Amino acid sequence: MMRLPAALLVLALSAGPALAHKLKLFAQAEGMDLVGTAYFAGGGKAAGLDGRVAAADGSPVATFRTDADGAFRVAAGRRQDHLLTVDSADGHAATARVAAADLPDTLPSGGMVSPAGDAALDAALARQLRPLREQIDALENRTRLGDVIGGVGFIFGLFGIAAWMAARKEKRG
Amino acid sequence: MAHIPDGVLTMPVLLGGGAVSAAGTWMGLRQIGPERMPQVAVLSAVFFVASLVHLPAGLASVHLLLNGLMGVVLGMAAYPAIMVALLLQAVLFGFGGLAVLGVNAANMAVPALLAGWLFRRLRRPGDFSRRTALAAGSAGGGAVAATALLVAGSLALSGQDFLPALTVVAATAAPVMVVETVFTAAAIGLLARVRPELLDGQP
Repeated sequence: MMRLPAALLVLALSAGPALAHKLKLFAQAEGMDLVGTAYFAGGGKAAGLDGRVAAADGSPVATFRTDADGAFRVAAGRRQDHLLTVDSADGHAATARVAAADLPDTLPSGGMVSPAGDAALDAALARQLRPLREQIDALENRTRLGDVIGGVGFIFGLFGIAAWMAARKEKRG
Repeated sequence: MAHIPDGVLTMPVLLGGGAVSAAGTWMGLRQIGPERMPQVAVLSAVFFVASLVHLPAGLASVHLLLNGLMGVVLGMAAYPAIMVALLLQAVLFGFGGLAVLGVNAANMAVPALLAGWLFRRLRRPGDFSRRTALAAGSAGGGAVAATALLVAGSLALSGQDFLPALTVVAATAAPVMVVETVFTAAAIGLLARVRPELLDGQP
């Protein structure tokens, strides 16, 4: 009885960094565009998903579709907060927010005051930093071995308490 | 596939799933005596870990559910075992949300109970031959199919189109179903040979 679960446990823990089955969306401003990728946390790219861009108040701005690498690019249009959403139709959805401050001040804005900046430099920096930001985003969502072991320990502890309570009741009764 | 995140389903679906799961968990807890507690704990931990082993399949990556196995071995007690594992998956890994916990638990535990019932119908008590393994295999595969139907159903009740949702869910569920049929048959077949009393000691 115990051998099989134990074997499965070993298999699970040896799977390296465990892949999470969870849709994630990464987005940032790059020049006048919103660019990003949709992916499954810890692993595969989410290709061919439909996405929506909305303003902070929820009004729709644009739609997009991820390419074979899960990447997309969509024009921002206005300098405002954007909320991006992707939906895989089978019950996975993810959102990402791009702040107005990340978009260049050459775009028409909704009354935002912004520091004067070099648009070309901003765009170049955004391009350079994107892989790094994507990596941090993915790292944050990786399933950690410590969490797995902690969860298994939690389950045994919980049922241990329950067994203890049940045993006490039986002794008394 | 089976872990629906927060913000996808509508309130009536969330409340319905929550009510079913509260009742199921309570009924399941009443079935667990002190001597069965370790068995429930082990299978709850297996279910918790099984969702972390990912196999690439088509559009997304899939993982084993093992809810059929839980239902076959644990019967009614599968409900609280799945509930605890799902709660920890949501808290620790963000698999599914906390508000949809009831719906997700119902989508996985109700098929588990059906699988347990099917297994006990197909199998003759005291029989430890190939028939037992076949019954377990159909219970394991059937549980995955039922979960896929329930997930698509929950999405449909929340306003998504049922058929497209079912197509996507079924596409990811099909490989899981095949693997799980074989796995459950092998696991229960082994159990029937080495520890038959675990299968016949069921309420």
